[in-house]
Amino acid sequence: MTESLKLTIDRRDGLAVIYTEGYINNQGGEEIARAAYLLLDEGHRKLLLNLTGTKIINSIGISILIEIIEKMLEVEGKLAFCALTPTIEKTFHIMGLAQYAAIFPDEVAAVSGLAT
Amino acid sequence: MDAPAAGSELRLELDRLVREVLPGGRRALDRLLPVFAGFAGTGAAVYLRAERGFRREAASGSGDYPELLDSPPGAALAFDGGLLVWDPSCPPRQLSTEACGLALAVAAAAREVQLAHRLRAQDFEAKTRGVQLEALYDVGLAIASTLDFEPLCEQILMRAVSLADARRGALYLGEGGDALRLERAFGGDAAPTLDLADAEVAALLAGRATPNCCALPGAQHLFGVPILTDGEARGVLVVGDKESRWGVGPFREEDRRTLELLANQAAIALANAELHRQALEKERLEREVELASQIQRQILPKSAPRIPGYQVHGWNRPARHVGGDYYDFLALPDGTSTVLVVGDVSGKGVPAALLVSTLHSALHLLAEREPLSPAMCERLNRLILESSSANKFITLFVAELCPSDGLLRYVNAGHNPGLIRRASGALEELPASGMPLGLIAEARFATAEARLLPGDLLCLYSDGITEAATPDDEEFGCARLVELLATGDAQPLGELVASIDRAVVDFAAGRPQADDQTLLLVRRDC
Repeated sequence: MTESLKLTIDRRDGLAVIYTEGYINNQGGEEIARAAYLLLDEGHRKLLLNLTGTKIINSIGISILIEIIEKMLEVEGKLAFCALTPTIEKTFHIMGLAQYAAIFPDEVAAVSGLAT
Repeated sequence: MDAPAAGSELRLELDRLVREVLPGGRRALDRLLPVFAGFAGTGAAVYLRAERGFRREAASGSGDYPELLDSPPGAALAFDGGLLVWDPSCPPRQLSTEACGLALAVAAAAREVQLAHRLRAQDFEAKTRGVQLEALYDVGLAIASTLDFEPLCEQILMRAVSLADARRGALYLGEGGDALRLERAFGGDAAPTLDLADAEVAALLAGRATPNCCALPGAQHLFGVPILTDGEARGVLVVGDKESRWGVGPFREEDRRTLELLANQAAIALANAELHRQALEKERLEREVELASQIQRQILPKSAPRIPGYQVHGWNRPARHVGGDYYDFLALPDGTSTVLVVGDVSGKGVPAALLVSTLHSALHLLAEREPLSPAMCERLNRLILESSSANKFITLFVAELCPSDGLLRYVNAGHNPGLIRRASGALEELPASGMPLGLIAEARFATAEARLLPGDLLCLYSDGITEAATPDDEEFGCARLVELLATGDAQPLGELVASIDRAVVDFAAGRPQADDQTLLLVRRDC
């Protein structure tokens, strides 16, 4: 399994998808934040974080994701997550991320959900 | 930045701002600070107390306001939990009354922001503990249901790293004793082995690990917990470098408690996985043995042929449910002769059973087409050689009996000598006339002849009979077999076989049967 986080960004019409692979910790979270804020600066207001390649996250990574969600709320944008492991999904629910960011089982469902 | 207004207007503005935005905490700070900065020179910033020194919360205007401050600078207003700093060219005593009032409002907003931060941090901490408790519960379920060793080790280590907010980790396991091997590492290199007797490892487990400890080279902060089974350390879980938003630092006592709970569950899960692995291996072996046993049951003859004037009896008992011994009777199409076969494939289990199957098919094909001859045995040898692995071979005694005159033409390919006990009591051996099948392509064989006369007994056997041994390694031997053949002159062949079997079992005195045992007896009555 990849340990340090790798990101891939797919810019689409009206939506940007960030694919993660590896550990979402302090370093990984900051990389995601940099990518998300760059996309916001570019004018994207709908972001999808596809966590297919991520099996592990820690509380620092979660706190950074919360900051990104807050930033999205400030600009009245939408952030969603998809393809979470059951463990990460449960963590997101407990930590309150699911209250402000939608969680979808896969990318197809997420793209459809964000379109509405 | 707003321009300074006249005094009365400024006071009104201040009142309005405080009234409107103070409850908004952060929003108030963002609006008040630029106004204050306009009155206090070129810029201002608010710092809140952090773990070490003060961390910048907000800044406005120009000026050098670093993210971290160790101590208050000259132009600063200290308030409960923070600092308001501004342009050093404007000392505090030069601030106007309005600016002073504005500074107090900024401080109030900053305190509210700090309170919000604290509440938020406490909320986050409480939720994190919730995640940890939930995770420990999940770990119990998940790792108890993950019986595959490799994924289980990965699961245990990842949970440990995640729960402790560690940057790195390693899982070491052993099989008793002090030496542990690295099973899995995460986030960087780890030492390939760990010695529990090592003082550095003892310090690691006691919470006194030194930076760059042997387990995780390069880690600044690390600790380990033992994975205990029956009170003995069967493994060690190590984590390194606890993360915060500002780098890495030491782990806390609650991290140790959390990891100890995880290690307890890991110990149970690892023990389960080991038991599961053993059960699967046993099951696999049993399936293999059953499969081979089926193959062999189908190959060995169900009954002996009826040949007028003769008694014929075959018997086999494999050592491990299935084995490499083989016997057979083939009635030739011309109806005049019967082929008698006893063979012994090197090895046991499924590979031996499969080679027996090959021998069986090849022998039937060849024997039905041509009489027993050196050429037929050479073809059989080549077939076996092509079908077997490098270290497999077959010893074979194959004979063609013509019942009408008792003529026995045979080839002994490296097998134990056949025995003929004559009616007179004399013993005749039918020795090897070629090498075992399947060794070399160029092997040559010769046929030999003997004749069974009324009252004579032919005995073909495998070495599992003569090499059956006592606990002291004494072998049953050929002499005891010959003696039994001598005393069984009047016995039906089935009874004679049973008495040989009893004698061999009694002789072994409880030592388990090590090799397959086969007997093929033919007595000419008249």
